[in-house]
Amino acid sequence: MWTEKYRPQVLDDMVNQTDIVSRLKTFVKERSLPHLLFVGPAGIGKTTSILAMARDLYGPGYRNYILELNASDERGIDVIRDKVKNFARTAAIAGDVSFKILIMDEADSLTTAAQHALRRIMEIYTGTCRFCLIGNYSENIIDPIQSRCSIFRFRPLSEADTKEWISTIASKEGVQLLEKGLEAIYEASKGDLRKSINLLQAAAAVQGSAVDDIAVYSILGRVSPRKVRDMIDLGLKGEFVEAREVLRSLLVDEGLAAKDIIRIVYSEVLKLNIPEIWKVRLSDTIGEIDYRLIQGGTAEIQLSVLVAKLALAGEKI
Amino acid sequence: MSQPWSSLFRPCTLKEIAGNEKAIRQLQIWLKSWEGGAPKQRAAFLYGPPGVGKTCTVTALAADQGYELIEVNASDRRTKKRLNALIGRSIHQRDTITGKRRMVLFDELEGVSEHGGVRAIASIIKEAEVPIVLIATSIGERWEDKFRPLKDISLHIKYTAVPFSQSLARLKVIVGELEIHVDEDVLELLANRSRGDLRSTINDLEAIARGRTRITMAEASVLTDRDRNDYTPDALMKLFSAKTLSDARRVISSAHIPYDDLFNWIYENLPLVLNDTSDLAEGIDALSRADIHKIRARRTQDYRLIKYMFDEMTGGVALARRSSEEVDLPYFRSPQLVWRYRRTWHSRRCRKSIAKRIAERCHISTREVVAEIIPLLKVIYEEDPSMAEGISRWLDLEDKEIKWMRS
Repeated sequence: MWTEKYRPQVLDDMVNQTDIVSRLKTFVKERSLPHLLFVGPAGIGKTTSILAMARDLYGPGYRNYILELNASDERGIDVIRDKVKNFARTAAIAGDVSFKILIMDEADSLTTAAQHALRRIMEIYTGTCRFCLIGNYSENIIDPIQSRCSIFRFRPLSEADTKEWISTIASKEGVQLLEKGLEAIYEASKGDLRKSINLLQAAAAVQGSAVDDIAVYSILGRVSPRKVRDMIDLGLKGEFVEAREVLRSLLVDEGLAAKDIIRIVYSEVLKLNIPEIWKVRLSDTIGEIDYRLIQGGTAEIQLSVLVAKLALAGEKI
Repeated sequence: MSQPWSSLFRPCTLKEIAGNEKAIRQLQIWLKSWEGGAPKQRAAFLYGPPGVGKTCTVTALAADQGYELIEVNASDRRTKKRLNALIGRSIHQRDTITGKRRMVLFDELEGVSEHGGVRAIASIIKEAEVPIVLIATSIGERWEDKFRPLKDISLHIKYTAVPFSQSLARLKVIVGELEIHVDEDVLELLANRSRGDLRSTINDLEAIARGRTRITMAEASVLTDRDRNDYTPDALMKLFSAKTLSDARRVISSAHIPYDDLFNWIYENLPLVLNDTSDLAEGIDALSRADIHKIRARRTQDYRLIKYMFDEMTGGVALARRSSEEVDLPYFRSPQLVWRYRRTWHSRRCRKSIAKRIAERCHISTREVVAEIIPLLKVIYEEDPSMAEGISRWLDLEDKEIKWMRS
């Protein structure tokens, strides 16, 4: 996949996030680093930076000295504690570097309780292990962790930088990318480089030559879960039972997480051709359901409230 | 005497079976019709409440008529292939080597899914050269939706609860054989409280009488403060027609399934019962809040909070009815989500292992992979085989995983 093929391997390859990269280079030179907290939107180089820094720091065998965990995939803080313990128990003998690096992605999705536990783990293993926590928002990271980390705020890439990256990859892959196609990719993904590159690759697969805006939009049409739209439409028509079947299919057959479904529902509802006041009412319902999901509510039960509310909206309009 | 009494006193002959004379006669006539070659309906479908003698009829009849009975249990996974491997030969040959005739019994059909099992059984029936008996414990008056494929190819034989007088008579016979004395009013209580489920009547008798020779109401009092359980559809019927919170609430303790299961039954059937949109929205919202109360009780480990869940899932649902018309449901649907999970097991396993590999190589979460990457990859697999091949190699995908990507 092109996102990996063109991921910068070492800090010198990185052309954006220059301030952060130069700080990271200092850490490499000093052979020492604090705990790190990387925050910023998706696809702008947070994971790439830490991986590149690790490679510069440890050399080609860097994989032995890092452990990547994704908070949204790990079941519970105890699992994390065990993994960290096993990882940090053996000291790194990588020349003059005496610590390993644990990379925790989506750290901001950990519950407050889990973060407090994580803070304890960080303290216990500081001698042998540095933590690099990655997340979208620093607000979701508890203060005690923030105060123990150097915080790096990653800024979204500028439009010009993003477009330059995409064009470069397109020409290396021999894809003729038309100006309108490039524009459409940027519009769809803004500064999210991962999303841009994935879109480019899919568009190139569909239309080998001359990728234009139509090719890009056709991809977007095919991947934006049409089933979510079906569910909304059935709901508005008052077909609750059928809409619920679609919901089940999204959860089970497609394997989508409740929070992804609700995110798509929200953006689709705003696009609906319904009275504005109903958008506000539905947004309120979605907000309530989103909160109940965060509290641990069962995905299917909670999301079907939305379907019932859509049916109500459809009847009143 | 260590055997449970309900199996010790299980009827061995047709005469010992209490009640359901008409059903038994129907089955006898149907079996007799096989003597002139396979009749139009090659299967007999016995359905009715539990503990009334459905299985007993079949085993007794088979013994009586000299059939060798081949029993297939519902706990087996029933695909056409497995079924054929299991009983394939016996359904095509009418006689065993010793000249005995064969009969096949599928018991506990209520536990079989439509796609996995019912269809496989239906196709077996169409080819069968021997009598096939199907048994399902069903509580509703009418057919469960999933048995549709069996509807036209089987003779329907309905069992009903054993009448009070016959339960009582059977109890007296058993008490006589055990040589114990049980007061008449205790026997009446036992016969009455199980509502025609003779097996559980005998279980109740054993519970109070084992190890004793003389039973009075005093010994039986242990039973009286416990309400006889409602079968799920009865419980649902009571719940959906309740007019007060306390009536609705009672269903939690009277239903014979755990409250979590009851919750799922309510959720499944609510939209069929509440046909007014705002009633339904209110009812579903009550379930949603019930769900949250449950989570809070679990999280805090303070189960005083569970009563709020019960109030919402019973009263909240029952009292949501304002403008909905009364509907006479032909049957209640069993919770469907479980079946969907079972049906899609292979596909979900494929997706999971692919997602995990992509997540590792692309340094993102599997959740993101499923939501963002896989849909794009599926486009690529459909449109550009050579690019797809490269990706398959890079991800080290197995053949079945590649097939999944293409589907």
